Amino acid sequence: MSGAPIFGLTGAALVGLGLFGLLVQAAVLRKILAFNLLGAGVFLLFGVVAQRGGTAGGGADAVPQAMVITGLVVAFAATALAVVVALRMHQITGAATISESDGAEPGGSDAA
Amino acid sequence: MSPATPGGSLLVLALILPVAAMLVAFVLGGRAAERLALAALGLGALLAMLVAAAVYRAGAPLAYAVGGWAPPLGLALRADGVTAAMLLTAALVLLAVALFGRTGHATPPGLAEARAPFAFWCFLLALSAALAAAFLGGDLFNLFVALEMLTFAALALACLEGKPSQFRSELRYLLFALIGSVLYLLGTVLLYGGYGTLDIALLAGRARADAPTLLAAALMTAGLAAKMALFPLHLWLPPAHAGAPPAASAVLSGLVVKASFVLLLRLWFWVMPPLAAAAAAPLLAALGAAAILAGSLVALRQARLKLLVAYSTVAQIGYLFLMFPLALAGDAEVAARAWLGGILQASSHAFAKAAMFLAAGLIAGALGHDRIAALGGAGRAVPVCVVAFGLAGLSLMGIPPSGGFTAKWLLLTSAVATGQWWWALVIVGGGVLTGGYVYRVLAGSLTAPPVTDAPIGDAPLPAAASRGPQLVALALALVSVGLGLLPLASFGLVQVGRLGAAP
Amino acid sequence: MTGSQYLLLASFGAPLGLLIACLWEAPRRRLPGLLWLAPLPALAAALLAADGPPLVLDPARLRFTLALDAPSALLLGAVALLWSAAGAYAHGYLGGKPGARRFALWWLVTLSGSLGVFVAADLVSFYLAFALVSLPAFGLIVQDGTPRARRAGEVTLLLAVLGEVALLLGFALLGDAVPGPSLAIADALAALPDSPARSMVVGLLVAGFGLKAGLVPLHVWLPLAHPAAPMPASAVLSGAIVKAGIIGLLRFLPPDAADWGGVLAGLGLATAFWGVGCGITQDNPKTVLAYSTVSQMGVTVAALGMGLALAVPGTAMAVAFYAAHHVLAKGALFLAVGVGAVLGGARRRTLVLLPALVLALGFGGMPGTGGALAKAAVKPQLGDGLPGLLAALSAMGSTLLMLHFTRRLAAVRPAAARSVPILAPVLLAAWLGMAAAALLLPWALYRPLGLGNPWDVLGKDLAMALWPVLAGALLAIALARWGGRLPRVPEGDLLVLTGRAGGLGEAIGAAVARLEAALRAWPVAGMALLALILALFGTMLAAAR
Repeated sequence: MSGAPIFGLTGAALVGLGLFGLLVQAAVLRKILAFNLLGAGVFLLFGVVAQRGGTAGGGADAVPQAMVITGLVVAFAATALAVVVALRMHQITGAATISESDGAEPGGSDAA
Repeated sequence: MSPATPGGSLLVLALILPVAAMLVAFVLGGRAAERLALAALGLGALLAMLVAAAVYRAGAPLAYAVGGWAPPLGLALRADGVTAAMLLTAALVLLAVALFGRTGHATPPGLAEARAPFAFWCFLLALSAALAAAFLGGDLFNLFVALEMLTFAALALACLEGKPSQFRSELRYLLFALIGSVLYLLGTVLLYGGYGTLDIALLAGRARADAPTLLAAALMTAGLAAKMALFPLHLWLPPAHAGAPPAASAVLSGLVVKASFVLLLRLWFWVMPPLAAAAAAPLLAALGAAAILAGSLVALRQARLKLLVAYSTVAQIGYLFLMFPLALAGDAEVAARAWLGGILQASSHAFAKAAMFLAAGLIAGALGHDRIAALGGAGRAVPVCVVAFGLAGLSLMGIPPSGGFTAKWLLLTSAVATGQWWWALVIVGGGVLTGGYVYRVLAGSLTAPPVTDAPIGDAPLPAAASRGPQLVALALALVSVGLGLLPLASFGLVQVGRLGAAP
Repeated sequence: MTGSQYLLLASFGAPLGLLIACLWEAPRRRLPGLLWLAPLPALAAALLAADGPPLVLDPARLRFTLALDAPSALLLGAVALLWSAAGAYAHGYLGGKPGARRFALWWLVTLSGSLGVFVAADLVSFYLAFALVSLPAFGLIVQDGTPRARRAGEVTLLLAVLGEVALLLGFALLGDAVPGPSLAIADALAALPDSPARSMVVGLLVAGFGLKAGLVPLHVWLPLAHPAAPMPASAVLSGAIVKAGIIGLLRFLPPDAADWGGVLAGLGLATAFWGVGCGITQDNPKTVLAYSTVSQMGVTVAALGMGLALAVPGTAMAVAFYAAHHVLAKGALFLAVGVGAVLGGARRRTLVLLPALVLALGFGGMPGTGGALAKAAVKPQLGDGLPGLLAALSAMGSTLLMLHFTRRLAAVRPAAARSVPILAPVLLAAWLGMAAAALLLPWALYRPLGLGNPWDVLGKDLAMALWPVLAGALLAIALARWGGRLPRVPEGDLLVLTGRAGGLGEAIGAAVARLEAALRAWPVAGMALLALILALFGTMLAAAR
């Protein structure tokens, strides 16, 4: 069972990397990739939890594994949706970032 | 703790109905989707009333164990007072939005199916299903899935028109909401690691005040706050809600944020150790107070009507957070009052804000723009809308009699009773600022229309003569006001199933 | 329910019922002609239902309570009379003007609130009625749609909202002080002396009600709003609506508030002189009348304050009597301004100027007038020593101010041509009827209300009653002669100071908007999210240790 700390630390590192990317990277695609890193980190932690639960009862706890599968599906759907919207945005406006300042945004302007 | 109660099958029906309707509508397509959606949402409203009646009559939460498997292995659906109240609110607002959408999102005559209307009706049903799942779910992971479904459906509705500006703001919404989701999920990992279950009823009272639990609570709270656009995490809300089509804005602002709110209530009042919750509650309320003041001040300075309404949402969400320190501190009577105040605020804001966005959309449609400085003539073009906007504004301000007033009054008196009078000042100050921005809109729309040089025939004026949508907005505003006319004792429903409440 | 309880319900229910009837087209069309009917049930209630048993609807949950004690009944009757006369006048004045129906709707809402405050006996319904009399008055003020009317309406609305806020906070504290679930005003007052928040409650209530009654420095809306509104609306604003503040003070000040009595007396007397000082520099007769209202409400509040401070028995009735005279006389004089603007010809102008002069002198306490009786009624409160002297001086000031008004009224010339024909006979009848009521009703009511024999007042201390009037008249002559040298005070005097405050508010708003825009940047929001996690975690961890 010595794998647990390694997986745990890797998961934590992935979470940190993902968060950093989501907050700092400007390009949408990088943000989406960062979100996937973040998600992978969390799922890895789920795995660790499943393993730890397993030591008590013999074999791995199945519930977290079911959660990981569900979570993967959700994350996949989210990624697909984000990519579609980002693609459409790029096609229509030519923009590849979502910062408010670049480009005119009729809906988002402040009071004059 | 019983896995299933009589009447529990109602909950399954409330969940299955919109899902089934969406799937069938997806297959049948076109006009059938619209008819199915209207029928399903009408039935949904009926079901929500039945659930509320059953909860009220039983005086105890309804529960259903999916597939007969009891938690922790199985999943539970539960409906207590909060669920019933929010389910009813959501069902009525969704039905109103659907009726409103019959004009704007009808399949054009001569076509079997058009993309945008078809998508609108399918996603409206999906949103309804996701909301039902978010209110009924009894398992923290299940609720995560419900929230994601909700985000996706809301996003699709908001992007329906395909305007360039919408993609950017909705993408911001999606990505920020995803950060929130992942943080929430991280919290569930920690909780599962600690307790081996994510069932709320099983976790209640069991949670220890150790570091992993508290970290989980902090992560989940922050994630949900990001999804609720609690100031200063509100960056995505104003452009996303203001840029969406009116029907979508109404459900986004009125309902979608409330799903995260209910989940936050579950977390704070059921799962978290009370001592730790009470310690951190003032922090949440302080952010809520900042939201009220900053959101209202910024709303006051907006040049565009829809942005003003969106910033008003930022401010009104702040009121929801004021209930945390009030309902966690003080004696049982005060806690019950603050609890009712918070739920009533969520409900009356849902009606009022939906009414406001629908009215704002119609006003913008009639005038061809939504610049507040040039609203003159709106009072003549769409009088019913202006009245609806005004009535909804009264509720948001907290002018009696209105649901907003009762909610704010309850919070105010709880603040005074627990000696936390500074929240009372915030509530009142927010009301005054709200009055300011509502007045700006009303005064603008009641002035005479600007004199144009163009001959009358060319004036881009107002085709929005159809009364149906206007009346829908008015009906929503009237419900929001009417909530204030009910005597307080009739709200016993929302206390059902609250931990610590007298049975 | 007994008949008198039905009357209580009907007193404010009648205008609301008319309002509901307006959902249909036919009543809506006829509404402006029916306005004079709406206050009549309230008048009947004032005459027949005073001191009857209170009406409690739904005692288990809603606890909606109505009651009418004798001082409230007196004020209710006077106010209902004025609303009725002004309603008839409004029909004649606005006639078929395009906005007449809209005006009638605002009128009914305000009317229901104005009558409701006198019968409401629980905190919630009183608050509701007070909100109804405060906020919809905006619609009456901006009726003409001029920029001036709009500004006046906005200032009024803002101040009214602030007043509502003060009351709301006060009521919240008051409701919290009551041990049981009751929200009756009587129970709240009984619990107030023991409440730790007593001074805060009383302070908030004085601020909220004082604002409505026009106490300095919260009086600035009166001289703006009253001249800007159409004539009948000015009459009810100045005559009836400000009395919501007086009834509030009468109802809610606990009888043991001797400490606050002194404060109120000081505020009231300051207001009395302030109103005179600002009023004599005004040219518009309606503005002069508005400042006179400020001054008279000052005297009313001073009498109430002294009555509280000295624990004089019967203070509530005496103050109500003084205020009721003001309702009738001031309402009548506003109507006179409108009549004066349409009546031509020297002989017919006498019908305006002569009664106006008598009423004007009545405010100074000219013996024989209703005003003299009103002054006599509050004599026990303001009779002796320094307060008595100050009250006499304020009577002198009132004489001066009202003679100034009469001169300004005489200077009003009928406009040559008006776009809409005005039903002059109705206007004239309403004005003369109100003038007669202001002159005679005090005589008829003085003894039945237990204030004494009115003829005694006439005989007693004639010199004491006359000198303020004579001195005021002399000052008025001086004012007519040299008044042009006085500096002009803008309408709403202290309001000029708010320009600076407005600049500050604008700066704060701009700063918040900049801050908010900065917080909307993606990385900043992300850092805020992480900071929130850490802060929540840290707080909870610290509490768990």
